[in-house]
Amino acid sequence: MATDNPNADGFGEVSRVRGIAFEYLSFGASVFGLVALGVLLVYVAIDAFDLANASPEWLLTYFLTLVGPFLAFCLYSANDPEVTRRALGALGGGLVVVAALFSAIEAFVAPIPRLNWQLAYLFVVAAPTTAYLAYVGSRGRLGAVGFGLLGRLVGGVAIGLAVGTLFLVFDALLWFLAYTLGVLPAVGLYAFGRVRSAPRARTAAAPVGLVGLTAAVFLRDVVATYPSDLIIYLWTIAVPVAAAGALLVADRSGRTAGVLVGGLPLAVATAGGFLAAGAGLPAPTVLLVLVLTGVPTAAYVSRVVDVGEGVVGLALPFLLAAGVIVGALIVEALGVPAPDPWLDASYLTEAPSRTPSEAGLYPAIVGSVIIIAMVAVLSFALGVGTSVFLEEYTPESGPLGTLTRILQVNVANLAAVPSVVYGLLGLGLFANLLGLGIGTAVTAALTLSLLILPITIISAQEAIRSVPDDLRRGSDAMGATRWQTTKNVVLPEAMPGILTGTILALGRAIGETAPLIMIGAATTVFRAPDSLFSRFSAMPMQIYTWAGFPQADFRYGVVAAGVITLLIILVGMNGSAILLRNRAERGS
Amino acid sequence: MTDSTESPDLTRRGGLTRLKEGTYGGLFAACAAITLLTTAAIFVTLLSDAVVFFRSISIVEFLTGTNWSPNPAGGGQAFGIIPLLIGTLTVTFTAALISIPIGTLTAIYLSEYATPNARSILKPLLEILAGIPTVVYGYFALVYITPALKATLFPEMSTFNALAASIMVGIMTIPMVSSISEDAMSAVPDELRQAGYGLGATKFEVSTGIVVPASISGIASSYILAVSRAIGETMIVVVAMGAQARMPEIQEAAFGIPFINPADVLLESGMTITVAMVQITGGDLTGGTLPYNSMFALGLALFAVTLVMNVISDIIAQRYREEY
Amino acid sequence: MSNTTTDDSLITTEVQADSNDDRAAPAAGTAVAARDLNVFYGDEQAIDDVTMEIPEKRVTALIGPSGCGKSTFLRCINRMNDMIEICRVEGDVEFGGKNVYGPNVDPVALRRKIGMVFQKPNPFPKSIRDNVAYGLKIQGYDGDVDARVEESLKGAALWDEVKDQLDSSGLELSGGQQQRLCIARAIAPDPEVILMDEPTSALDPVAASKIEDLIDDLAEEYTVIIVTHNMQQAARISDRTAVFLTGGELVEYDDTAKIFEDPEEQRVEDYITGKFG
Repeated sequence: MATDNPNADGFGEVSRVRGIAFEYLSFGASVFGLVALGVLLVYVAIDAFDLANASPEWLLTYFLTLVGPFLAFCLYSANDPEVTRRALGALGGGLVVVAALFSAIEAFVAPIPRLNWQLAYLFVVAAPTTAYLAYVGSRGRLGAVGFGLLGRLVGGVAIGLAVGTLFLVFDALLWFLAYTLGVLPAVGLYAFGRVRSAPRARTAAAPVGLVGLTAAVFLRDVVATYPSDLIIYLWTIAVPVAAAGALLVADRSGRTAGVLVGGLPLAVATAGGFLAAGAGLPAPTVLLVLVLTGVPTAAYVSRVVDVGEGVVGLALPFLLAAGVIVGALIVEALGVPAPDPWLDASYLTEAPSRTPSEAGLYPAIVGSVIIIAMVAVLSFALGVGTSVFLEEYTPESGPLGTLTRILQVNVANLAAVPSVVYGLLGLGLFANLLGLGIGTAVTAALTLSLLILPITIISAQEAIRSVPDDLRRGSDAMGATRWQTTKNVVLPEAMPGILTGTILALGRAIGETAPLIMIGAATTVFRAPDSLFSRFSAMPMQIYTWAGFPQADFRYGVVAAGVITLLIILVGMNGSAILLRNRAERGS
Repeated sequence: MTDSTESPDLTRRGGLTRLKEGTYGGLFAACAAITLLTTAAIFVTLLSDAVVFFRSISIVEFLTGTNWSPNPAGGGQAFGIIPLLIGTLTVTFTAALISIPIGTLTAIYLSEYATPNARSILKPLLEILAGIPTVVYGYFALVYITPALKATLFPEMSTFNALAASIMVGIMTIPMVSSISEDAMSAVPDELRQAGYGLGATKFEVSTGIVVPASISGIASSYILAVSRAIGETMIVVVAMGAQARMPEIQEAAFGIPFINPADVLLESGMTITVAMVQITGGDLTGGTLPYNSMFALGLALFAVTLVMNVISDIIAQRYREEY
Repeated sequence: MSNTTTDDSLITTEVQADSNDDRAAPAAGTAVAARDLNVFYGDEQAIDDVTMEIPEKRVTALIGPSGCGKSTFLRCINRMNDMIEICRVEGDVEFGGKNVYGPNVDPVALRRKIGMVFQKPNPFPKSIRDNVAYGLKIQGYDGDVDARVEESLKGAALWDEVKDQLDSSGLELSGGQQQRLCIARAIAPDPEVILMDEPTSALDPVAASKIEDLIDDLAEEYTVIIVTHNMQQAARISDRTAVFLTGGELVEYDDTAKIFEDPEEQRVEDYITGKFG
């Protein structure tokens, strides 16, 4: 955008002032919403973690024990002097600039409520720098290993907790019978058929499984004695997961490694489960978390060790854990005044309460997890079915083509129907007409499934459309039927895209509140739901309720913690969707 | 290898194979049918209860009544949609004042000025704005925006007010304007831009004088979609705007022209159509009562308005796609 | 653009239809036959009343300028044109004595007996093994799959290059290898006819010549029908050549040697010598 051209003698100049002003104006507009959102998020984070009461000493302690080593790890992994120089410059220079600017504003304009220059530095300089360095560091070999391990640990815990939550509602005894009589024999037969190339065994797998499942339903009430929940989870989930991990690793790096990868976490998880049972903790959840974290982690470690590159990166989780522990010890020893965050362990495990300091989100979290699990299954199945029909089964012209276009326009219009109207549909149709009950989890799940169905369909269609036609024609020319082409060629190629779209749509569902209000979801429940037909609350519902409470502690503390919890879950879901997409893009 | 049979069997497969093919085809068709059934179900559900409602309250009374109180303590229900319309229009209009200029400028920046790198970062970030749960926006409006406005610009503002809610609705709908408008602007062929530069136009003149007019139908369609989204928005207004169906005082200006002081509606609490629906759910939900049915009448109105706007936006958007 | 004519006259081909004399004897029966075949895309005619008989276990080349209908003709044989909604076919195409457009003919069953190789290599994003075994899998083959995979890869002259990496993705192979993988995929279910739609046009000359050698070998066991825009290629590898000219008209169909050395039609001679097309 150079305005003056030294060679231009005699042509004169056209003023660009307006143009440049306009460019900056439009750039400002582009970031306006983001900046506004960023500021609001900073405030809500400060409220949720009570950072306004964090003393500078407390911040400094954790900066030195936790953030510092982490940044050093990232810089070491990035191994780029230029990045190191820039990062240190930003951290140091930012400190001076923020402190000076902040003091100037406080002194000359107005005091900024609930913010001091240390926090401003934390959010404006330290947090973005850390995020940037984490990104740069994760691209180095060392960082890739470290973040890979960290991801498996966090992901394993999250999935373990979610699965454990689901079994609060679904009948564990029925699952036990179904697994033992149906799933296990069917999988066994199929595997046998694969290994021995006996196609009959493979074809028999599905009917055998069906018979087993039916038998399980009938036997559910006939059988009188069942093993304890812990044994059921051990037998139906922990052992198969460990076995799968072991087989996978054994195939890659030998039998010993396989046994180690499967056996070690299984042993630890079993021990943990029984210990937890003794200590009165929810033993099945402990078992699930340990085994679902342990097996992938062990498999990952074994692979990293095999490859032999960036093994040091495995230390990252220990580095972070040590940082937290050392920081806590120093804070304790020196008596540094520490903040008292609203968002803490008890907030996530306790029921709501009238007293702000005792209020917890647990029943609402359970409600959300259960609803989302059902919505995921329903909207995925319906979304894939519809998009396959629209993309693979219907012609684009002729009388059937008109039907396709009608369906397409209909889906687009459904996507624009306000969510509160879906709530009315759920209330009128599912809750009252079909008698599924007002405010039950199943009514909510059906309503939200229909709500996100158009989004799921549209993104699944895009994924299916991006499968090259060459592959379809190749399969057709081999004499594949339409379903065979769809199943063997189109869906495997489109699956990452479909999953990404579904997860993003689920992110929408987990934050929806209006439809839940319309179907009469409870504003507050004190116990986690224990069946699909029990009254439930969900995270956004609980946030809505609390936001209406008059006490400041609720408005600025409890709700802020709920908002942060919801946003963290959202970020986790969307993050994994994006990772999935990137990985699929790299793969092809 | 080949063992040429004189007459290969090319006939249709019977039995299992065809059954399997048919089953899968039928299954997918059934899934697709569910989307049509959903639309039908929305219509039928809304219409059936709305019809019952309009048997007790005439449509004229519903559309012209200036009092909305479905569950009054002392009896004497009133179902006039005017105060709700005022609330909805206030929020929609104010939100559009934010989202339309900002969204349009954003689209111009992304399409004309931003480097590919900046675009690849900004576009997904902007989508975040539409992905934040609306109840969270409502919370932001209530506990951060309102106190900030009160402390600085409008000391007399009430705790629940339309302005803070509208600002949040506006921010939330920015990406709707920007992403569709940007698509339309990116679809403008480069030859048009080249022609402009060839005539000695500056980048500013090309952007505002050539690209924007050329993509005007796409831009207009994005405005309609954003407005339709604002009309249907529920949680932000429920949390931040309060739930008082108020008729603002109608004042008389010079020459007897009636007008409403904007501060009267913006700085006070109010009620939109969506809020009214949510408020009724506090009562009986098993059906059969007048307030219950009125909810469906409101839903029908909302559904009809958003559907019509969506169809209009679709028709407008279709035009620009055909142009190039 | 202005000097196209000179270019064309420069590449006037000095072809010698020498290679396939060993198979030239007219002993073979008919694999595929077209009778009064007309194909329309909407209102436009793509094939104009074509009647021809294609001998079995021979290589038959279909040549002609682009848009002459040679690919359309190829796709009529295994009814791939069914996928194009505006395509309408009149007349008969006989395969093994049966009209493939007759009633009760399942195009899927038909395609299982006719292999096809496309212009651009299109291996599935699966392992090499799964690519070759694909046809066996969808047809529910219950014999020794691995043996057939090996046999087919050997048949496609690819086995020695990939035998140690059968589980790696087919997409990791080079373009020429991918095309041979597609040929292996096509011959694995043991079809009777293999259709090839310009199989070498997306490949470099070395890879293309390997495919040409392979086609020669394939004709020992299969009927090969190949569409090509490359006249030297047709001359090198085919036993019979059919020349299509604009409008979907089959102008001349004869032994390759006859077509290239002494065509009956002036238009064919013009086309072959580069004066037209």
